Amino acid sequence: MSASPTPPAHPDGRGLERLLPDIATLQDRLAESGYLTDEGLATALFCAVRLPQPILLEGEAGVGKTQAAKSLAQVLGTPLIRLQCYDGIEAAEAIYEWNYPRQLLAIRLAEAEGTHLREADLFGPDYLVERPLLQAVRHQGPRPAVLLIDEVDRADEEFEAFLFELLAEGTITIPEIGTVKAEVPPVAVLTSNRTRDLHDALKRRCLYHWIDYPDVARAAQIIRLHVPSAAEGLTTGVAAAVQRLRSLDLQKPPGVAEAIDWVGALRLLGVTRLDGDLVARTLGSALKYREDLDVALGRGVSWIGTGD
Amino acid sequence: MTERLAPDLATVAAGFGGLLRAAGVPASTERCSRFAAVVALARPVTVTRLYWLARVTLLDRHDQIDVFDRVFASVFGGAEDVAADRGDTAAPKPPPQTRPGARTRASAQPQAGESDVPTPATTVGSPHERDESGRLLVTASVEERLRHKDFAHYTPEELASLRRLVEELRVVAPRRRARRPTAASSGRRLDLRRTLRRSHRTGGDPVRREYRRRRDRPRRIVLLADVSGSMESYSRVYLHLLQGAVRGTGAEAFVMATRLTRLSRALATGHPDVALGRAAEAAPDWSGGTRLGEALKTFLDDFGRRGMARGAVVVIVSDGWERADPSLLGEQMARLERLAHRVVWVNPRSAAESYEPLVGGMAAALPHVDVLVPGHSLHALDDVLAAVRDASRR
Ligand SMILES: Nc1ncnc2c1ncn2[C@@H]1O[C@H](COP(=O)(O)OP(=O)(O)OP(=O)(O)O)[C@@H](O)[C@H]1O
Ligand SMILES: [Mg+2]
Repeated sequence: MSASPTPPAHPDGRGLERLLPDIATLQDRLAESGYLTDEGLATALFCAVRLPQPILLEGEAGVGKTQAAKSLAQVLGTPLIRLQCYDGIEAAEAIYEWNYPRQLLAIRLAEAEGTHLREADLFGPDYLVERPLLQAVRHQGPRPAVLLIDEVDRADEEFEAFLFELLAEGTITIPEIGTVKAEVPPVAVLTSNRTRDLHDALKRRCLYHWIDYPDVARAAQIIRLHVPSAAEGLTTGVAAAVQRLRSLDLQKPPGVAEAIDWVGALRLLGVTRLDGDLVARTLGSALKYREDLDVALGRGVSWIGTGD
Repeated sequence: MTERLAPDLATVAAGFGGLLRAAGVPASTERCSRFAAVVALARPVTVTRLYWLARVTLLDRHDQIDVFDRVFASVFGGAEDVAADRGDTAAPKPPPQTRPGARTRASAQPQAGESDVPTPATTVGSPHERDESGRLLVTASVEERLRHKDFAHYTPEELASLRRLVEELRVVAPRRRARRPTAASSGRRLDLRRTLRRSHRTGGDPVRREYRRRRDRPRRIVLLADVSGSMESYSRVYLHLLQGAVRGTGAEAFVMATRLTRLSRALATGHPDVALGRAAEAAPDWSGGTRLGEALKTFLDDFGRRGMARGAVVVIVSDGWERADPSLLGEQMARLERLAHRVVWVNPRSAAESYEPLVGGMAAALPHVDVLVPGHSLHALDDVLAAVRDASRR
C-alpha cells in the first residue's frame, strides 16, 4: 500500500473554490449558519474541505466538535451523513448489510417455483442495505457530502480498520459486488473524546485540530446566538462564570452547551445580571454531578458569580 | 505560481518537520507535504495563519502542542500573539502521556482494502516471535521448585528465568456480550450463505435457518502496579506480567509511585528489555514512596472517567502502604468501584498469615475491592488470573 502524496481532487473542485475561496469566507459562512469559529478551527475546516483530507477533531465535551460537521454541511449545502460510533459497532451498522428477510424470501420463492437460485443473484445490489459509509461513497454531488464519524474512540480498535479504505482511497469494497468508488468523495470529519488512543494508521490519514474552550468574549457571542433574548450583562456574566468554574477540579467542566443551558434558565427568571444568590439557585444547569456542585459551592457562590 | 514556489516550500516544510521530529513530534514526510500543500492553497500572510496551517497538518495529538509551539516560535517567531489566539487557557490539563519519543508505530496494521473482518488488536506483537534461544525456557522442574517460593526471595537468576514464564502467562480477559442495537427479530443473526448452501444440498426443502453466533468481546483490563520502594521485590515480576497482558489482550497498564505513569504504549512495542528500559525511564520514581490515593485520582480524572475504567476489570497491584492520608485513597476507590465492572487487588503482603488489613491505605481501600488475592508466588498468580477471568460471572 503506497501513500498517495496528492489526494484525488474533487471533480467539482472548481465549484468549491468559488464557494469557499479562502479561510475568511468559510468563517463568515459558518457564522451565518450560527456556528462561530476562531481562526484555528476555520483554518482546519478549510484545509479539510479544500485539500481535501479527513480531519480529526478533539476537545473537551461540549466544545462544538459535532456541531462543526453539521454546520459545515449546511455551508456546503450538502447532506450530513452521520455515523455515531459506540461500543461494539460493527461493519453491518456502518457500511452495508444484506437484506436477510428479502433474501430469504427469494430463496423460498425460488423453491416454490422450482427455479435454481445462484448465490450471485442473492448478493446483488437489490439486496443491499446501505449504511452511512456506503451512503457517503454513493453520494452523487456535485458538491461533497459531509461524513461525520462521531466519537470514533467509542468503537473498538478493530472497527477502525473498516474506515481506512474509505478515508485513504475513497472506496468501499463489497466482496460480493466489487469496489465502489466515490465519484465525489465526502469531507470526512471524525471526532474523539480521547477515551483511548486511535490507531496510528487512522490518524496518519487525518488532519488534526484540538478545539479549545472559547474565550469569554467568543463564548458570550455563542450564547447570544443561542439565547438572543438574554440580557447582555447576563450573557457575559455567565460566560465568565463558566470559565471560572473550569479552573476548579471538576469531573465534568461545563462546556458551551452548559453555558447556553444556564443562560436559558436564568432568562426564565427574568434576571439581567448574575450574582452569588442566583448562582446558588441555578448552578444545577451548568454542573450535572453532585460532587461537582459540592466542589463549586465550596469555592463560593459569589466568586463564581462575580469573581470575588 | 504554485509551481515556482513548490520546491522552496517543500524544502521549508521538510526542514520544519525535521525540527519537530528532533523535538520528539513524529511529523512524517507525508504530513510535511500536506503542510506544503495547504500553504500553497491558503497563501498565509500572517504568522498566525501559518501557525494554524502547520499545526493542523503536522500534529496528531493534543499533547504535542506545547512542543510544537516552542519549535514554531524558534523558527518563525511571533508565538506570543499566536498563543493569545488560542482561546481559553484555563482549560484543564490534558492527561499525561508517555514521552513522545517512546512512541513506535504499531507493528501489525490492517491493510486498507482488506475486505474481511480484520484481525483483532489482541494479536498485535505475537508472543511467538520470541525466540529459539530456548535454553532459557523454564523447565518443568525449575517451575515446580519455584512454584511456591515468594517472589521477594528470588535470586537474580531465578528472576531472569521467571521472566520467560511470566511473559508466557496470558492474562485472560473475561468476555462480554457484544451489544447489538438492531437485533434481528430472532435476536440472532441469520447466516444466509450457510442457509443457502444447505438448501441446495437438501434439494431446497425444508429451509433450515443457520444462525451465526454473536461475537463475545473481551472486557478491557486495566492494570495499575505500585512500583514504590516497599513493592520493589514484586514490581519487576509484575512489570513482566503487565507486558504480557498489554501484548496479549491489549490491556492498559499504569505504574504508580509518587505519581501515575501510563506504560501501555511503551510495553506494547519493541523488545521486552527495551520496553522495560523505557518503562523505567518513564517512571523515574521507580523506588520512591507511594501516594496511592493521588495516583488513583490522576488515573480516574485523566483516563478513568473518560471511559477507560467503565465496565473494565481493574487490577491493582500494591501492598496498600499509603504515605499520604488514606481517606483520599478511600474516596478514589469508591469512584473506581462505581465505574469498574470489577476491582481486583493483588497484595503480596496479604500472603503472610499474620496479615490483617486493619490500618492505612489497605483498610480504606478494602470496602471497595471485589477480590483480594496475594499473588506473591507463581502458584498464587493462578489465583490472580482466576480472579480476572471470573469477572464475567458476578
Ligand atoms: N462555536 C460554536 N458556535 C455556536 N454554537 C456552538 C459552538 N460550539 C458549541 N456550540 C453549541 O454547543 C452545543 C454543544 O456542541 P456539540 O454537541 O457540537 O459539542 P461536542 O464537542 O460534540 O460535545 P460532546 O463531546 O459532548 O459530543 C451545541 O448546541 C452547539 O450548537
Ligand atoms: Mg459530540
